[in-house]
Amino acid sequence: MTRLLIKKQLMEIFKSYFYNAKRGKKRSRGGVIASFVFFAAIMAGLLGGIFTMISSSLCGPLTSAGLGWLYFILMSAAAVLLGAFGSVFNTYSGLYLARDNDLLFSLPIPVAAIMVSRLMTVYLMGLMYSACVLVPAMIVYWVSNGPSFMTVLGGLVTLLDVSLIVLCLSCLLGYVVARISLKLKNKGLLTALITVVFLGGYYFFYFRFSDMIQTLVRNAGTYGEKIKGSARMLYLFGTMGEGNGAAMLLWTLVCAALAAAVWLVLERSFLKIATSTGAVTRTVYREKKVRRKSPASALLARELRHFTSSASYMLNCGLGILLLPAAGIALLWKGESVLAIPARVFGVNGTVMLICAGLCLMGTMIDTAAPSVSLEGKNLWIAQSLPVTPWQVIRAKFHTQLLLGGIPTLAAALCGAAVIARQFSVPAGTLVLFVLLPLLFQALLSAWGLFFGVRMAKTDWTNEIYPIKQSMPVFLSLFGGWAMAFAVGAIYLWQMNRFSLPVYMAIVAAIAAGATAGMLFWLKGEGSRRFMELQ
Amino acid sequence: MLKIDHLTKTFGDKAAVDNLSLHIVPGEIYGFIGHNGAGKSTTLKSAAGIQQFDSGEITIGGISLKNDPIACKRIMAYIPDNPDLYEYMTGIRYLNFIADVFGVDADTRSARIRDYADRFQLTNDLAQPIAAYSHGMKQKLALISAWIHEPKLILMDEPFVGLDPVASHLLKEMMHELCGRGGAIFFSTHVLEVAEKLCDKVAIIKQGRLIRSGTMEEVRGDDSLEEVFLELEAEK
Repeated sequence: MTRLLIKKQLMEIFKSYFYNAKRGKKRSRGGVIASFVFFAAIMAGLLGGIFTMISSSLCGPLTSAGLGWLYFILMSAAAVLLGAFGSVFNTYSGLYLARDNDLLFSLPIPVAAIMVSRLMTVYLMGLMYSACVLVPAMIVYWVSNGPSFMTVLGGLVTLLDVSLIVLCLSCLLGYVVARISLKLKNKGLLTALITVVFLGGYYFFYFRFSDMIQTLVRNAGTYGEKIKGSARMLYLFGTMGEGNGAAMLLWTLVCAALAAAVWLVLERSFLKIATSTGAVTRTVYREKKVRRKSPASALLARELRHFTSSASYMLNCGLGILLLPAAGIALLWKGESVLAIPARVFGVNGTVMLICAGLCLMGTMIDTAAPSVSLEGKNLWIAQSLPVTPWQVIRAKFHTQLLLGGIPTLAAALCGAAVIARQFSVPAGTLVLFVLLPLLFQALLSAWGLFFGVRMAKTDWTNEIYPIKQSMPVFLSLFGGWAMAFAVGAIYLWQMNRFSLPVYMAIVAAIAAGATAGMLFWLKGEGSRRFMELQ
Repeated sequence: MLKIDHLTKTFGDKAAVDNLSLHIVPGEIYGFIGHNGAGKSTTLKSAAGIQQFDSGEITIGGISLKNDPIACKRIMAYIPDNPDLYEYMTGIRYLNFIADVFGVDADTRSARIRDYADRFQLTNDLAQPIAAYSHGMKQKLALISAWIHEPKLILMDEPFVGLDPVASHLLKEMMHELCGRGGAIFFSTHVLEVAEKLCDKVAIIKQGRLIRSGTMEEVRGDDSLEEVFLELEAEK
């Protein structure tokens, strides 16, 4: 039974490799092989390549100083971080929120078998990410020091133990998120918040990683002695890769015990969490005085509520809402030193244009409009049957992105303008255009996203992550936006001598406004007709 | 109130509705019956203005649906067979959203929400997210949202599915009340006993074509509606 369930889980994960959902057909054998080769190239080539370089720079200095065990500890720590990061976002939903919960629980299948099959998916994800770090690390070590039976065995045991640690960490994080979200009303916001905090921590660590490693390598002897003396278990973990058989046995027992403890924690609450609707705190309705809204306001409020209720929607289509003001603050804080470098290369005008194009580029990280039509999904009948024109519905989606993107863009642009005014002598008209251009670009992005959103809408999705993350409108909106923002900056730097900056900015602003108007005109006419024909 | 003339809608080569004509006058409860895939939902969706049709004419309260769909939608409400509502809203937010779009003033909507939610015993759940509602609760919420602007015409696709006996009884009462005020109801059902007891008129559709319509007496004669329906279904 467990094997059957694991097979089903794996079929779900790799479904897209065997089945072309767009054409509704099975992929050819060549297509399947190409999909797997592409996936392997991304994982082994990209991630594996990065960690091969890191391993190469660390292995030599550490092993020659007799600190091979420290090398394995560092690489194992990186593997645990990457493994946990790679699987933490889907552990909660993968373990507890599967759509086939009701079906499986109603069948004569032991709950433990369902748990094992779900945990196996989490384990395989963690193993895959950990292997991308540890396999190159092991190969580099074997090549540098010559492989032996014990070091090969030690490397494999290290990988096994790290994958078990990743599994335990992911499960515990998933369990904590599940317990918290059962008690909270706005789960979407919580998940988004946790993810943003996690992302922030990850990038903080990422940017400081190279400094930390260099410090560690410079003082390897001192740190090594400290670890050896005060963290004996950690030291033993590192010696596994060097072929310490006793350490392998000890750590495998520790990891097995850890996994058993996590299993016991999960098993006690699995059924309760998986079958809970989360409505633990029941809010009883109390009648309140309401204010009547216009249909346009009601439609706008509906769009904003949809956005703020979905963690996936916020994280994938609204990250720029946080990043733009953060960039503005960073400009105010470190702007003078940051702007000094491009000013030496491109001059004042080139730098002003670069910052402006950069703000446009960051604006592409807000793309709520592109998936919004597909996101109507099975609720499409409501918007179609209400006494509002399709244009009113589409316009509300346009205004939503304008609102969500416009305010942070304005904040960042004003910060940028303040820094530019402080550092360079730039005419007031140019500063006005500097602020205006990213705002017009945001309007263009919104209309651009909706243009594709209406043309390529697909409302028959079963998981909202499809329209939000994997649909063509989002792809075109994002990458099209990048291309446009890049072109805005690059064309000026290329033809800098032919245009004065304000003239160039005015031309770009006029093109952005014209293109936006053109697309809105299409949306009001043909786009509205297509919206009403959606099923 | 609802006049459908020579409605035709095709999907590819298949005619889902073929030259169908119906006329529903104010005060009537009109039942629409037929086998699965006969064209009931297509007809209802076309009349609700959410599905374009190939030919024919639909007028609501004398207004052409093709020429002025917004004016038509202002005086009617539609409930599909599976009421998928905005799960990211609470029940009360959904009702307020619908009331805002229909321009129902604050006092009137409060009174109506209180009345209908109390009747359906849904008042205490209005602050809950719709995602936490059962199928029956969603159906009740969809019914309240349909009644909140007191439409002149209500189109419903299988409205009794998922409702408990008390809610079914209430719905029948509300249908009679609406028709008593001069409104009209056009609904599809597979429950022939309900149609027989509730409807003033009934239409039977088979493979997109209207095969019989009229008052209940005209359609069934001395037989039961079930016998007539089965007999008509057996005919080639």
